[in-house]
Amino acid sequence: MSYLDEGRRRDEQLLLIGASRPALLTACAALPDRDELLAGGRLDLQTTGDAYAGGSGLAPLEQVERYRAAVQEALGSGRTGLRVAADVTALIRDGRSGRRRLHAYEQLADVLMGAVPMTAVCLYDESVGAEELGPVAVLHPLQHLGDRQPQTHLSGRGPRLSLHGEVDLTEAEHVRTALVDVAGDGSGELVLDLSDLDFLDVAGGRALYGARRDLAARGIRLRLAGAPRHVRRCLGLFDLAVEPA
Amino acid sequence: MTFLRPTGNWDGTRLAHEGFIFSTDSEVVERVVPFVLEGFARGEPVLVVAGERVRSLLARHLGTDLGRLATFAAAETWWRGGHDTLLAYDRDLRDLRARAPSWRLAAEPVWLAREDGREWSRFEAVANRCLDAMPYYSLCLHDAQRLPTAVLTAVARSHPLTWAGAAPAPQPAYEDPIGFLRAVQPPWTGRPGGAVVDVVTAPVQARRAMSAALPGDRRARLGDVVLATHEIVVNALRGSAFAELATWTDGEAFVVEVTDAGPGLPDETLGYVPPDPVDGPRGMWLAWSLADDAAVRTGPAGTAVRLYFRR
Repeated sequence: MSYLDEGRRRDEQLLLIGASRPALLTACAALPDRDELLAGGRLDLQTTGDAYAGGSGLAPLEQVERYRAAVQEALGSGRTGLRVAADVTALIRDGRSGRRRLHAYEQLADVLMGAVPMTAVCLYDESVGAEELGPVAVLHPLQHLGDRQPQTHLSGRGPRLSLHGEVDLTEAEHVRTALVDVAGDGSGELVLDLSDLDFLDVAGGRALYGARRDLAARGIRLRLAGAPRHVRRCLGLFDLAVEPA
Repeated sequence: MTFLRPTGNWDGTRLAHEGFIFSTDSEVVERVVPFVLEGFARGEPVLVVAGERVRSLLARHLGTDLGRLATFAAAETWWRGGHDTLLAYDRDLRDLRARAPSWRLAAEPVWLAREDGREWSRFEAVANRCLDAMPYYSLCLHDAQRLPTAVLTAVARSHPLTWAGAAPAPQPAYEDPIGFLRAVQPPWTGRPGGAVVDVVTAPVQARRAMSAALPGDRRARLGDVVLATHEIVVNALRGSAFAELATWTDGEAFVVEVTDAGPGLPDETLGYVPPDPVDGPRGMWLAWSLADDAAVRTGPAGTAVRLYFRR
């Protein structure tokens, strides 16, 4: 609620997305001037199905463009930006292929939010489980994971991604899943910049080795660039070469 | 006249590991030349990696046969520290295995004469276990004029075969690799009273604890300390709900001790075993290669590992 209220004070367009309209109305009951914001079109409520799936499942590129357009529309109506709080738990429960689309989408959304005045909180029900939440979490620059400290962020644009923070055995497999999913099915190569990676352990090296193999099977060559000395040390244990950043 | 059998009863299916200590030129020639020629006669790749003295003796006595050696290399340039030297050696062995049913090697680890090369005896000892399935005869040459007595004693303790004059024979001083490692690792003295002790339940806590514990004048080793300790803590937490971390300085060395109450290490020699290129454990190998020295105590009631980092 404080997140939405901050947007209200900054005169941003507010968008709240969740399971049903009644549930959303209850969720934002404590927001000051809620009814006036709704009546004035400054607060919009949408169900997760309407906002994302459009009946046929999540389409990552179209979804990002929809948000880009929504930001333009908000700016056009005199708002300072777009602020979204979205419960997207339903999307992560959409099977393995749904999660692959979600991972690709989250990465594109991360890039979008670096480029336009948009902020978003993606809400995931904790009951989903760590195995599904882990790969999604590493695609967000800020993470709140109950009592667990976030360590890793996978970010970037197009064929060049970068890994920040620390990758150890607790997140190594999540990074592998996220990396392989955001690479999509395109051919060619993917450069992963490790210049800002502070720590990588043996499990992390093994995960990148596995990711390289998974990607190779899809015709994508994973190239690693710019790793600090101790990160290179773990990569070397798997014969993973590193080129200059 | 005695009938020479340069490799005795070796059948070419497993590692044979002989330590040969020489003083005179004729000892080298009489041992190594028949060994090389037997390899040629059996159609095996024959490799020689040795110091200048041995190389020039072989060059003189093998004549044109020198060109039949699969490798004839100077050992002086091979030393890159124990772990990296063994890793390169292990790759060469895997290549050989892919192209020959058996082979033989006469090698002189000249770096045993260096202070920082002494640790090689530990790799020699563990090789008897981890390279056992490699089908080659390793004739290790050691120059008694160049090497101190302690190194020559370690040669006998780490090589199961010795030369008996006409054929190789079991070395009476040979020790089980685990016993040898335990005997040569830093002595396990009591933890000093001033040690800083932490209890961790996740590896990230150990990384933060190491960052906090390493004294300011040793920060150049921070990356080594953090990564090596992390890997040992990861191992500890596989079989134990928590691990105890203790750190102290002992003269030149910063010492990290990781203690767990797990079921004991399945193989305490892994710090000296080159990892499989694809699968298998790597944590101990990595930790041991980052640290300057290491010691282990392990049993069914738990494991303690000490890593030593000099300035």
